[in-house]
Amino acid sequence: MTARPRVLPLAATGLLVAILLAAAIASLALGDANLRPAEVLRALAGRGDDLARTVVWDLRLPRTLVGMAVGAGLAASGVAMQAYFRNALASPGLLGVSSGGALGAVAVLALGGASASLWTVPAASILGAFAATAAVMMLARRGASSEHLLLSGVALNAIFGAGTSFLLALSAGQFQVSGQILFWLMGGLENRTWEHVWISLPAILLGCGLLLPLGRGLNLLSLGEASAQSLGVDVRRLRWQLIVLSTVLTALATAVGGIVGFVGLLVPHLLRLGFGPDHRRLLPLSMLGGAALVLLCDLPTRFLPGSMRLGVITALVGGPFLLWMLRKKPC
Amino acid sequence: MLSAEGLDLGHRLRSVSFSLEPGLMVAVVGPNGAGKSTLLQVLAGLLRARGRIRWDGRELARIPFLERGRTLAWLGQDSHAEFDFPVREVVAQGRYAWGDDGHGVEDALDALDLRHLAARPITQLSGGERRRVFLARALATGAPLQLWDEPTGNLDVRHGLEVLKLASGLAAQGSTLLVSLHDLRNAFCFHRVLVLDQGRLVGFGAPQEVLTPALIQAVFRVRAREAPGLVLELPD
Repeated sequence: MTARPRVLPLAATGLLVAILLAAAIASLALGDANLRPAEVLRALAGRGDDLARTVVWDLRLPRTLVGMAVGAGLAASGVAMQAYFRNALASPGLLGVSSGGALGAVAVLALGGASASLWTVPAASILGAFAATAAVMMLARRGASSEHLLLSGVALNAIFGAGTSFLLALSAGQFQVSGQILFWLMGGLENRTWEHVWISLPAILLGCGLLLPLGRGLNLLSLGEASAQSLGVDVRRLRWQLIVLSTVLTALATAVGGIVGFVGLLVPHLLRLGFGPDHRRLLPLSMLGGAALVLLCDLPTRFLPGSMRLGVITALVGGPFLLWMLRKKPC
Repeated sequence: MLSAEGLDLGHRLRSVSFSLEPGLMVAVVGPNGAGKSTLLQVLAGLLRARGRIRWDGRELARIPFLERGRTLAWLGQDSHAEFDFPVREVVAQGRYAWGDDGHGVEDALDALDLRHLAARPITQLSGGERRRVFLARALATGAPLQLWDEPTGNLDVRHGLEVLKLASGLAAQGSTLLVSLHDLRNAFCFHRVLVLDQGRLVGFGAPQEVLTPALIQAVFRVRAREAPGLVLELPD
């Protein structure tokens, strides 16, 4: 058998950037008021009619930027977790890190803390995500079997889910609060404002930027921790960097987008199939791919009934994909 | 020169001390659970034990990571690979501590008979082939201290003999090798043999002097006797 042909990273990057740009323009153009691409570009440049400018700048640009940040953050986080656990099935959603973050956010919402400051919800989300990461690390050691890892994730997802349901039930009487909580559970980019952009985008960009130079170390780590250390990697330090960065990225994405499942699983896996497992390539490509996937999945939510939210779409795409992966590679 | 003084790790290693001049190829033998893998991991700095390990007079634990990666190479028993890196890329990882200069990667591929597999994803290889890939990676480090945990484990006869020949070639160039083995017969082509039993060093020296029938019986609980039989060797 011969090796799979590998596409030049340049071509791959170009392709993903093109897809991402197309998705971003579509995301700026489509919705209740459809704009032509030329109108979008004019509005972006600050020209054109007032309505188009308002729609693009005040409504759709924040939504698009938040979507890109969420997708890039989740996909990068997935790559880091998969290398850390040496397991292609590890991802923020399956391991329970996303639902930990959501529980933190929901707790603040249910207790009415969301009005205190713009930052309380993201902070609580980060806290919840870290609690989940700590639990995963205790339950499943590195190199743990897929079975062990996934079952730990099932258990954590159940526990955090129960907490979230409890809080949801508590606030059933308060229509606005329970609506906000549902938002977290289903994930979505509606009504995202520039504040959400400022909360998520710079920090996610920073996190992604800090992950990028770790690619070489990730390659070695993903083939065994002890051997990586013997080859000269400071494994302890790398592990901590990965845990902190992947958790913060997931938490920030969850804080502004709610639970958006399967992005961290699907994107790295598909890109690995196409462009190989080298993390120096996989990390940047996954960030681009994750951003594009979230934007693409967000598009149909604008035309479908309100309950077809982003998290529902990514689950509809990602669920069958996970089943296909499991069929291909038994745990 | 490698020296170990009073290495102690619970019941896994009990006051193990020895020292080796450069250019020696040392077989580490002992029954299952005797501490062979533990000793190699401790020497590689992967497990912390009490005692002191010195390489050329410097304490090994104090040598920074990158420099340690250039000083020693460790081959573990785990050849699992989750991600399908091509063989050549895995071998090239041996140059991590050298800033990925790619030096010696092709030679290492040739030395382990991997050239025809160089572009193949490692996940598609058999257990023995994967083992050779990781051995080639250890070789590519160019490290003067090579620690191999059962390198011949699941290799076929020819590749097993090739590995032993490779080891003696490295020793001839001045490297120090510690290689754990299960087949005692192979230990006789090493310069020294280090016998472990329940974490203790119970024999250290030239194989003909150390691996006596009495020691083999005491440590391995098998009877050793010389008998004519099939001899397998590499063709010239």
